[in-house]
Amino acid sequence: MNALEVFELLVFPGLTFFVWLAFVFEWLERKTAARMQGRLGPVVTGPFGLLQPVADFFKLASKEEIIPEYADTFVLRWGPALYFAAPAVGVAFIPVLGFQSILYQPLDLLVMFFLLSFSTLMAAMLGYASAGRYSTIAVGRLVVQYSSYEVPLLLSMITPAVLAGDISIQGVVAAQGSLWYIFLAPAAFAVFIVSALAELEKPPFDIPSAKTEIVGGWMTEFSGNTLAYVKLTKNLSYVFLSALAVSLFLGGPSGPVIFGNSSAQAAIYGVYFLVKLFAVGFLIFAIRTALARVRIDQAAKLFWTVITPISLAQLAVAIVIR
Amino acid sequence: MSSGKPSEEKSEAGAGLMQYSPESMMPFGPVHPSLKEPEYFRLVLEGEKIKEVIPRIGYVHRGIERAAQERTWVKDIYLFERICGICSFAHSICFTQGVEALSKFEVPRRAKYIRLVVAELERIHSHLLWLGLVGHWAGFDTLFMWVWKDREHVLDLSEAITGNRIHKSYATFGGVRKDLPDDIKDKLLAEMSFIEKRVKYYDELVSSERTLSVRTKGVGTITQDAARRLCPVGPLLRSTGIARDVRAEDPYAAYDEVPPEVQFRTDGDIASLLSLRMGEVLDSCRMIRVAMEKLPSGPFRTPVPRSVPAGDSAFHVEAPRGELFYYSKSEGLSSPARVKIRTPTMANLLTATEMLKGRPLADVPIVLTGMDPCFGCMDRVSVIDLDKSKQWAFTGEQLREYGIEYYRRLL
Amino acid sequence: MARNKIGEALGEMFRTALETPVTEEYPFGKKVVTERFRGKLDIDPLKCTGCSICEIVCPAEVITMVTVGKKTVGTRTLDVKRPKFELYSCISCGQCVDDCRFGALTLTHEFELAVFRKESLRMDKALEGV
Repeated sequence: MNALEVFELLVFPGLTFFVWLAFVFEWLERKTAARMQGRLGPVVTGPFGLLQPVADFFKLASKEEIIPEYADTFVLRWGPALYFAAPAVGVAFIPVLGFQSILYQPLDLLVMFFLLSFSTLMAAMLGYASAGRYSTIAVGRLVVQYSSYEVPLLLSMITPAVLAGDISIQGVVAAQGSLWYIFLAPAAFAVFIVSALAELEKPPFDIPSAKTEIVGGWMTEFSGNTLAYVKLTKNLSYVFLSALAVSLFLGGPSGPVIFGNSSAQAAIYGVYFLVKLFAVGFLIFAIRTALARVRIDQAAKLFWTVITPISLAQLAVAIVIR
Repeated sequence: MSSGKPSEEKSEAGAGLMQYSPESMMPFGPVHPSLKEPEYFRLVLEGEKIKEVIPRIGYVHRGIERAAQERTWVKDIYLFERICGICSFAHSICFTQGVEALSKFEVPRRAKYIRLVVAELERIHSHLLWLGLVGHWAGFDTLFMWVWKDREHVLDLSEAITGNRIHKSYATFGGVRKDLPDDIKDKLLAEMSFIEKRVKYYDELVSSERTLSVRTKGVGTITQDAARRLCPVGPLLRSTGIARDVRAEDPYAAYDEVPPEVQFRTDGDIASLLSLRMGEVLDSCRMIRVAMEKLPSGPFRTPVPRSVPAGDSAFHVEAPRGELFYYSKSEGLSSPARVKIRTPTMANLLTATEMLKGRPLADVPIVLTGMDPCFGCMDRVSVIDLDKSKQWAFTGEQLREYGIEYYRRLL
Repeated sequence: MARNKIGEALGEMFRTALETPVTEEYPFGKKVVTERFRGKLDIDPLKCTGCSICEIVCPAEVITMVTVGKKTVGTRTLDVKRPKFELYSCISCGQCVDDCRFGALTLTHEFELAVFRKESLRMDKALEGV
């Protein structure tokens, strides 16, 4: 790997860029939720409160870390790093500045599947290792919710791959050209968004970390550094899933070509990508602000009886279309 | 109360708990994000389902009834209004009217009307607060923010009339302390229109928004038979179809001239409680309008002597949460000899625990909110009997019997 | 009223997003209170006669009468008293304001009463210059 590739991987448009995007997404979420509720949102830190998520991160990182007596210290120390690694690695596979992503594998959509399940597994392990009553109940809910949304999520991710005939993200982006798959497979997009809401534990599916019922859910016992990174990872997953939605359904960075084949064009592609990314992010948190939380059994019922059949039907339609 | 020595009763309570292993009992409280005030509910769980709820109260016990005996009658008004922030005016008028009945003071008509207006304003504010909390505890923060935004209008009205948003310090013996401000009528009527419009929207929203209605329809249902057995009061009772309201049955203040339209629903679940309380808000808006139209002129206060003749009286009012009951006893001195308070949440507590049995854990905040708990009002149950030099705490069973007994004495 | 939709709140959400937020930017903006707002207590020392009624009626026992001198009335020598206020306990109920026959007491609109030292909330100005 030469220096440029390392730079791309770690800084732009790799890890640092996406971590910065994670902070921006959190700010955007808090600000629009606030405005829709008639409040102000963050205002004091930085212009328009833009630095608020950063400030929160550093504040949490500077606090004392309290580990419960019966908790599994080994898991609690190393788990967050692995939990962070899942979306952090995943974002490197998303093409941002053009149709090439930084890391590429011929079957990288399967890598995405693995990373998504891995991140939930780590969350469950962290919650279980916390050895608190609330965490244990939350892990139970998390596992139930995961088993409900996993199948529709994977099915909705396979649908664009079937349409493109290629199981790599780059390939799906390239195959879309100017006819984005959201128009060919709208139900798959909808299913993806709903399952993403469940994966990110946002209302209506924020049952595993339901603040008013089981205190903090599986994050109850975290404090200090652990909590800072866990929250950052949740925001990063938010960006990661939005980026996946953009790549699989909205044609990634594709758009009208202005500058021909040059690095300026790459910048334009980046702009298209960001615009679409924020659109999907905004969609997700508009839904989140508008809905209440459902119970875990109702969520499971919803996923199994409604969402999964829709995604199966959509997949069948996609196979036929192709 | 019950026969049996205290130590026996205590060990019975212990035996009741011992059959449940510590791992299967999940504590809900005393400190929990979903409780406004500390109370301790031990939930015996099987997975996500609740088998039994064992409440334990007393965490906000402040010795108010004892403190009342050391303060003069007027100072006690301020003490009692601080029992609860949300139903503060209800406590205030219940106590003052009790003492006025005892001393046979006649309160001027204008003062009665003003008390009605402020009491209904408080009912609106309390129900809006409750609605926001239901939204918050159901995970619907947007509803919470919107409703509390509208509640600010009511609180501003309260500040314009009484000088403070919550602890109004407005009622006194013989009437109210200040007259209504001159420009308040137009403001009141305008705000009532605003509140009515918003409440109609919220009523529509909570009944048709799917993610809320699945959490509230059929959840925490009480049947009429259960209600007769457990004797809840207030909206909890009226949601089962038993339409009892102190304002209609035993009118005080100006309720004989401006009667309420007693709201009731028949389903007995949280959704009907939502609809019921919204209906009560609309009815309160109507009553305020009528009262402002019919407001008589005249004095707003009768001067009263500072000491109260010997005797005792019992008085009840319809607080936002239900029937609030005060018993005052005077021996002709400057301090009351005894004041006993029975607040609505104490009557509703066991009904709420009954509502929870067999429900999944996720319903606990919604059901507990449904009964609109005010534990600060409620904690006067640990009994210390200095005469007999005995001290005991009630077990759940005794608590229930105590509550039922008390309620039966009123019927 | 059982339309049973999802996202019922969306219309209202977007409408609210376009309105001005209702948050008052206190402390960066000024907070306006109503006419009758009960804030910090104040006394006009010129009107106070030392009758001690405020001390008797205060529910929070904020007021203590202090003997500041003596006066002769006819053949008797009486104490001259003035009130001392410990405003950190004051609940701003206004009972003293209502009961003072000379109108010496008022409740101002001042409410920013957080201090570092409790003693700075003592009001002794009625004791001076008697």
